[in-house]
Amino acid sequence: MKMLEVAEPEQLPVPQARAGEPAAWDALFRRYQLPLYVYVFELIRDEQAGLDIVQETFIAAVRHIGGLREDNKFGSWLFGIAHQKCVQRWRKRKEILFDEIPETPDEFEDGPDDLLIRQEQETEFMNLLNQLPLPQRSVLLLHFVEEFSLEEIARITETQLGTVKSRLHYAKKSLRKLLEAKNENTA
Amino acid sequence: MKTPRDILFARHQAAAPKLDAIRQSAVAAVCDRRISADGTDERRSQTAAPTILQTFWRELIFPCHRIWAGLATMWVLIFIINFSQRDNVSSVTGKPVRSGGAVMSLQAQQRLMNELLADRSMPPETDPPRNFSPKPRTETSETTTV
Repeated sequence: MKMLEVAEPEQLPVPQARAGEPAAWDALFRRYQLPLYVYVFELIRDEQAGLDIVQETFIAAVRHIGGLREDNKFGSWLFGIAHQKCVQRWRKRKEILFDEIPETPDEFEDGPDDLLIRQEQETEFMNLLNQLPLPQRSVLLLHFVEEFSLEEIARITETQLGTVKSRLHYAKKSLRKLLEAKNENTA
Repeated sequence: MKTPRDILFARHQAAAPKLDAIRQSAVAAVCDRRISADGTDERRSQTAAPTILQTFWRELIFPCHRIWAGLATMWVLIFIINFSQRDNVSSVTGKPVRSGGAVMSLQAQQRLMNELLADRSMPPETDPPRNFSPKPRTETSETTTV
Protein backbone atom coordinates (compact mmCIF):
# COMPACT_ATOMS: atom_id res chain seq x y z
CA MET A 1 0.00 0.00 0.00
CA LYS A 2 1.15 3.50 -0.79
CA MET A 3 2.47 5.30 2.26
CA LEU A 4 1.04 8.74 2.87
CA GLU A 5 3.66 11.40 2.89
CA VAL A 6 4.14 13.31 6.10
CA ALA A 7 5.74 16.68 5.53
CA GLU A 8 8.42 17.93 7.85
CA PRO A 9 7.20 20.67 10.19
CA GLU A 10 9.81 23.08 8.83
CA GLN A 11 8.30 22.85 5.34
CA LEU A 12 4.86 23.93 6.48
CA PRO A 13 3.90 27.47 5.41
CA VAL A 14 2.95 28.63 8.89
CA PRO A 15 4.44 32.16 8.60
CA GLN A 16 2.46 32.73 5.40
CA ALA A 17 -0.65 31.44 7.13
CA ARG A 18 -0.05 33.91 9.93
CA ALA A 19 -0.01 36.62 7.28
CA GLY A 20 -3.45 35.42 6.19
CA GLU A 21 -2.56 33.88 2.84
CA PRO A 22 -5.37 31.53 1.78
CA ALA A 23 -2.98 29.31 -0.22
CA ALA A 24 -0.89 28.69 2.89
CA TRP A 25 -3.96 27.76 4.89
CA ASP A 26 -5.08 25.47 2.11
CA ALA A 27 -1.73 23.65 2.22
CA LEU A 28 -1.88 23.33 6.00
CA PHE A 29 -5.44 22.07 6.03
CA ARG A 30 -4.71 19.65 3.19
CA ARG A 31 -1.78 18.30 5.18
CA TYR A 32 -3.71 17.76 8.40
CA GLN A 33 -7.32 17.09 7.37
CA LEU A 34 -7.10 13.31 7.21
CA PRO A 35 -4.88 12.72 10.29
CA LEU A 36 -7.09 15.05 12.27
CA TYR A 37 -10.26 13.32 11.12
CA VAL A 38 -8.79 9.87 11.86
CA TYR A 39 -7.89 10.96 15.37
CA VAL A 40 -11.25 12.59 16.10
CA PHE A 41 -13.33 9.83 14.53
CA GLU A 42 -11.52 7.04 16.35
CA LEU A 43 -12.11 8.86 19.63
CA ILE A 44 -15.75 9.76 19.29
CA ARG A 45 -16.89 7.11 16.79
CA ASP A 46 -19.33 9.40 14.97
CA GLU A 47 -18.78 10.44 11.37
CA GLN A 48 -20.82 13.64 11.34
CA ALA A 49 -19.53 14.78 14.71
CA GLY A 50 -15.99 14.03 13.53
CA LEU A 51 -16.44 16.18 10.43
CA ASP A 52 -17.97 18.96 12.52
CA ILE A 53 -15.04 18.91 14.93
CA VAL A 54 -12.54 19.05 12.06
CA GLN A 55 -14.35 22.07 10.64
CA GLU A 56 -14.53 23.80 14.02
CA THR A 57 -10.84 23.08 14.54
CA PHE A 58 -9.92 24.69 11.21
CA ILE A 59 -12.00 27.77 11.96
CA ALA A 60 -10.52 28.06 15.45
CA ALA A 61 -7.01 27.69 14.00
CA VAL A 62 -7.60 30.57 11.58
CA ARG A 63 -8.98 32.72 14.34
CA HIS A 64 -6.36 31.96 16.98
CA ILE A 65 -3.20 31.53 14.91
CA GLY A 66 -1.79 34.51 16.81
CA GLY A 67 -1.68 32.32 19.93
CA LEU A 68 0.74 29.82 18.34
CA ARG A 69 4.18 30.53 19.80
CA GLU A 70 6.40 28.29 17.69
CA ASP A 71 5.71 27.65 14.04
CA ASN A 72 7.16 24.13 14.14
CA LYS A 73 4.56 23.17 16.76
CA PHE A 74 1.65 23.87 14.42
CA GLY A 75 0.66 20.19 14.16
CA SER A 76 0.49 19.53 17.87
CA TRP A 77 -1.23 22.89 18.39
CA LEU A 78 -3.91 21.94 15.84
CA PHE A 79 -4.40 18.51 17.40
CA GLY A 80 -4.62 20.21 20.79
CA ILE A 81 -7.57 22.29 19.57
CA ALA A 82 -9.27 19.17 18.18
CA HIS A 83 -8.61 17.27 21.40
CA GLN A 84 -10.22 20.04 23.46
CA LYS A 85 -13.28 19.91 21.25
CA CYS A 86 -13.50 16.15 21.78
CA VAL A 87 -13.20 16.69 25.55
CA GLN A 88 -16.02 19.25 25.42
CA ARG A 89 -18.13 16.70 23.59
CA TRP A 90 -17.36 14.00 26.14
CA ARG A 91 -18.26 16.35 28.95
CA LYS A 92 -21.57 17.13 27.31
CA ARG A 93 -22.28 13.43 27.01
CA LYS A 94 -20.99 12.90 30.58
CA GLU A 95 -18.60 10.16 29.51
CA ILE A 96 -15.83 9.13 31.85
CA LEU A 97 -12.66 10.78 30.66
CA PHE A 98 -9.91 9.67 32.89
CA ASP A 99 -8.90 6.43 34.43
CA GLU A 100 -6.01 6.26 36.79
CA ILE A 101 -3.06 4.11 35.89
CA PRO A 102 -1.08 3.69 39.07
CA GLU A 103 2.52 3.24 38.08
CA THR A 104 4.80 4.75 35.47
CA PRO A 105 6.93 2.28 33.56
CA ASP A 106 10.68 2.68 33.82
CA GLU A 107 11.42 2.00 30.20
CA PHE A 108 9.85 3.40 27.07
CA GLU A 109 11.39 1.83 24.04
CA ASP A 110 8.85 1.57 21.21
CA GLY A 111 8.47 3.56 18.03
CA PRO A 112 5.11 3.95 16.27
CA ASP A 113 5.95 1.46 13.55
CA ASP A 114 7.10 -1.34 15.83
CA LEU A 115 3.63 -2.79 15.84
CA LEU A 116 3.18 -4.42 12.47
CA ILE A 117 -0.13 -5.96 11.62
CA ARG A 118 -0.93 -8.59 9.05
CA GLN A 119 -3.71 -7.94 6.57
CA GLU A 120 -6.02 -10.53 8.11
CA GLN A 121 -5.57 -8.89 11.52
CA GLU A 122 -6.66 -5.42 10.44
CA THR A 123 -10.27 -5.68 11.50
CA GLU A 124 -9.21 -7.31 14.71
CA PHE A 125 -6.75 -4.50 15.36
CA MET A 126 -9.46 -1.87 14.92
CA ASN A 127 -11.79 -3.74 17.25
CA LEU A 128 -9.06 -3.98 19.86
CA LEU A 129 -8.24 -0.30 19.49
CA ASN A 130 -11.86 0.57 20.16
CA GLN A 131 -11.87 -1.56 23.29
CA LEU A 132 -9.16 0.55 24.89
CA PRO A 133 -10.23 3.20 27.43
CA LEU A 134 -10.51 6.70 25.96
CA PRO A 135 -7.35 8.21 27.50
CA GLN A 136 -5.21 5.29 26.35
CA ARG A 137 -6.79 5.32 22.92
CA SER A 138 -6.20 9.04 22.59
CA VAL A 139 -2.51 8.74 23.43
CA LEU A 140 -2.05 5.72 21.19
CA LEU A 141 -3.76 7.40 18.23
CA LEU A 142 -1.60 10.50 18.54
CA HIS A 143 1.40 8.21 18.63
CA PHE A 144 0.29 6.20 15.61
CA VAL A 145 -1.21 8.90 13.42
CA GLU A 146 1.33 11.71 13.68
CA GLU A 147 4.25 10.16 15.54
CA PHE A 148 4.09 12.94 18.10
CA SER A 149 6.71 12.89 20.82
CA LEU A 150 5.68 12.19 24.39
CA GLU A 151 6.10 15.87 25.25
CA GLU A 152 3.86 16.87 22.38
CA ILE A 153 1.23 14.31 23.36
CA ALA A 154 1.35 15.61 26.93
CA ARG A 155 0.81 19.14 25.61
CA ILE A 156 -2.04 18.10 23.32
CA THR A 157 -3.88 16.12 25.99
CA GLU A 158 -2.92 18.56 28.77
CA THR A 159 -1.61 15.78 31.01
CA GLN A 160 1.62 15.07 32.80
CA LEU A 161 4.47 13.50 30.86
CA GLY A 162 4.56 10.54 33.25
CA THR A 163 0.86 9.94 32.72
CA VAL A 164 1.34 9.95 28.95
CA LYS A 165 4.21 7.49 29.27
CA SER A 166 2.22 5.10 31.38
CA ARG A 167 -0.90 5.36 29.22
CA LEU A 168 1.03 4.67 26.05
CA HIS A 169 2.92 1.84 27.65
CA TYR A 170 -0.19 0.13 28.95
CA ALA A 171 -2.14 0.77 25.76
CA LYS A 172 0.53 -0.86 23.62
CA LYS A 173 0.99 -3.65 26.09
CA SER A 174 -2.71 -4.48 26.20
CA LEU A 175 -3.01 -4.19 22.42
CA ARG A 176 -0.07 -6.50 21.90
CA LYS A 177 -1.41 -8.95 24.45
CA LEU A 178 -4.81 -9.01 22.79
CA LEU A 179 -3.28 -9.53 19.36
CA GLU A 180 -1.11 -12.35 20.66
CA ALA A 181 -4.07 -13.97 22.32
CA LYS A 182 -6.03 -13.79 19.08
CA ASN A 183 -3.09 -15.29 17.19
CA GLU A 184 -2.88 -18.17 19.64
CA ASN A 185 -6.59 -18.79 19.34
CA THR A 186 -6.48 -18.84 15.55
CA ALA A 187 -3.39 -21.07 15.54
CA MET B 1 2.42 -6.19 6.99
CA LYS B 2 1.10 -2.70 7.70
CA THR B 3 1.69 -0.13 10.37
CA PRO B 4 -1.28 1.05 12.47
CA ARG B 5 -1.10 4.40 10.68
CA ASP B 6 -1.50 2.77 7.28
CA ILE B 7 -4.52 0.85 8.48
CA LEU B 8 -6.14 3.89 10.08
CA PHE B 9 -5.59 6.14 7.07
CA ALA B 10 -6.81 3.51 4.62
CA ARG B 11 -10.01 3.03 6.60
CA HIS B 12 -10.88 6.72 6.43
CA GLN B 13 -9.92 7.53 2.84
CA ALA B 14 -13.63 7.52 1.98
CA ALA B 15 -14.07 10.69 4.02
CA ALA B 16 -11.62 12.58 1.80
CA PRO B 17 -14.24 14.33 -0.42
CA LYS B 18 -16.10 15.60 2.63
CA LEU B 19 -12.86 16.75 4.20
CA ASP B 20 -11.99 18.55 0.95
CA ALA B 21 -15.29 20.41 1.13
CA ILE B 22 -14.61 21.36 4.74
CA ARG B 23 -11.14 22.57 3.80
CA GLN B 24 -12.51 24.69 0.97
CA SER B 25 -15.07 26.31 3.24
CA ALA B 26 -12.39 27.02 5.84
CA VAL B 27 -10.14 28.59 3.20
CA ALA B 28 -13.09 30.66 2.01
CA ALA B 29 -13.46 31.86 5.59
CA VAL B 30 -9.79 32.87 5.51
CA CYS B 31 -10.46 34.88 2.33
CA ASP B 32 -13.44 36.60 3.97
CA ARG B 33 -11.34 37.37 6.99
CA ARG B 34 -8.64 38.84 4.82
CA ILE B 35 -11.11 41.03 2.97
CA SER B 36 -12.58 42.28 6.21
CA ALA B 37 -9.08 42.91 7.61
CA ASP B 38 -7.95 44.93 4.59
CA GLY B 39 -10.33 47.76 5.30
CA THR B 40 -10.08 49.20 1.80
CA ASP B 41 -12.68 47.06 0.15
CA GLU B 42 -16.17 48.40 0.00
CA ARG B 43 -17.53 45.00 0.89
CA ARG B 44 -15.74 45.16 4.19
CA SER B 45 -18.69 46.43 6.16
CA GLN B 46 -21.03 44.00 4.43
CA THR B 47 -18.89 40.98 5.31
CA ALA B 48 -17.86 42.20 8.75
CA ALA B 49 -21.38 42.68 10.04
CA PRO B 50 -22.47 39.06 9.58
CA THR B 51 -19.11 37.92 10.94
CA ILE B 52 -19.66 39.87 14.15
CA LEU B 53 -23.20 38.55 14.40
CA GLN B 54 -22.01 35.03 13.72
CA THR B 55 -19.27 35.39 16.31
CA PHE B 56 -21.76 36.77 18.81
CA TRP B 57 -24.10 33.90 18.10
CA ARG B 58 -21.40 31.22 18.14
CA GLU B 59 -19.53 32.36 21.24
CA LEU B 60 -22.19 33.92 23.45
CA ILE B 61 -25.58 32.50 22.55
CA PHE B 62 -24.99 29.06 21.06
CA PRO B 63 -22.82 27.48 23.82
CA CYS B 64 -25.61 27.99 26.37
CA HIS B 65 -28.58 28.29 24.03
CA ARG B 66 -30.85 26.34 26.38
CA ILE B 67 -30.25 28.79 29.20
CA TRP B 68 -30.93 31.74 26.89
CA ALA B 69 -34.08 30.08 25.62
CA GLY B 70 -35.20 29.46 29.21
CA LEU B 71 -34.56 33.07 30.15
CA ALA B 72 -36.45 34.31 27.10
CA THR B 73 -39.40 32.07 27.97
CA MET B 74 -39.40 33.35 31.54
CA TRP B 75 -39.47 36.95 30.33
CA VAL B 76 -42.29 36.25 27.92
CA LEU B 77 -44.27 34.59 30.74
CA ILE B 78 -43.61 37.53 33.06
CA PHE B 79 -44.85 39.97 30.42
CA ILE B 80 -47.94 37.90 29.72
CA ILE B 81 -48.81 37.64 33.43
CA ASN B 82 -48.15 41.33 33.94
CA PHE B 83 -50.37 42.41 31.05
CA SER B 84 -53.16 40.01 31.97
CA GLN B 85 -53.20 41.29 35.57
CA ARG B 86 -53.28 44.89 34.42
CA ASP B 87 -56.20 44.15 32.11
CA ASN B 88 -58.11 42.45 34.97
CA VAL B 89 -57.69 45.36 37.39
CA SER B 90 -58.71 48.01 34.90
CA SER B 91 -61.73 45.99 33.80
CA VAL B 92 -62.90 45.59 37.43
CA THR B 93 -62.57 49.27 38.48
CA GLY B 94 -63.06 50.90 35.11
CA LYS B 95 -60.46 53.44 36.13
CA PRO B 96 -56.75 53.50 35.95
CA VAL B 97 -55.23 52.17 39.13
CA ARG B 98 -53.34 54.58 41.34
CA SER B 99 -51.53 54.09 44.59
CA GLY B 100 -53.06 55.25 47.89
CA GLY B 101 -50.46 57.95 48.53
CA ALA B 102 -50.94 59.49 45.12
CA VAL B 103 -54.71 59.50 45.54
CA MET B 104 -54.45 61.21 48.93
CA SER B 105 -52.10 63.90 47.71
CA LEU B 106 -54.32 64.50 44.69
CA GLN B 107 -57.35 64.85 46.94
CA ALA B 108 -55.50 67.29 49.20
CA GLN B 109 -54.43 69.36 46.21
CA GLN B 110 -57.97 69.34 44.86
CA ARG B 111 -59.35 70.48 48.22
CA LEU B 112 -56.86 73.31 48.44
CA MET B 113 -57.62 74.39 44.91
CA ASN B 114 -61.36 74.43 45.65
CA GLU B 115 -60.83 76.58 48.74
CA LEU B 116 -58.71 79.07 46.86
CA LEU B 117 -61.17 79.32 44.00
CA ALA B 118 -64.08 79.68 46.40
CA ASP B 119 -62.39 82.58 48.22
CA ARG B 120 -61.74 84.45 45.01
CA SER B 121 -65.14 83.99 43.45
CA MET B 122 -67.13 84.89 46.60
CA PRO B 123 -68.94 88.36 46.10
CA PRO B 124 -68.84 91.03 48.87
CA GLU B 125 -72.52 90.56 49.97
CA THR B 126 -72.15 91.74 53.57
CA ASP B 127 -72.36 95.39 54.80
CA PRO B 128 -69.24 97.26 55.49
CA PRO B 129 -68.16 96.80 59.08
CA ARG B 130 -69.49 99.35 61.48
CA ASN B 131 -67.56 101.04 64.17
CA PHE B 132 -68.49 99.33 67.33
CA SER B 133 -68.17 101.29 70.57
CA PRO B 134 -69.18 99.27 73.60
CA LYS B 135 -71.01 100.94 76.37
CA PRO B 136 -69.77 100.81 79.92
CA ARG B 137 -71.09 97.92 81.94
CA THR B 138 -72.35 100.18 84.73
CA GLU B 139 -74.62 102.08 82.28
CA THR B 140 -76.41 98.99 81.10
CA SER B 141 -77.05 97.85 84.63
CA GLU B 142 -78.61 101.20 85.56
CA THR B 143 -81.15 101.15 82.75
CA THR B 144 -82.36 97.73 83.72
CA THR B 145 -82.93 98.75 87.29
CA VAL B 146 -84.90 101.83 86.24
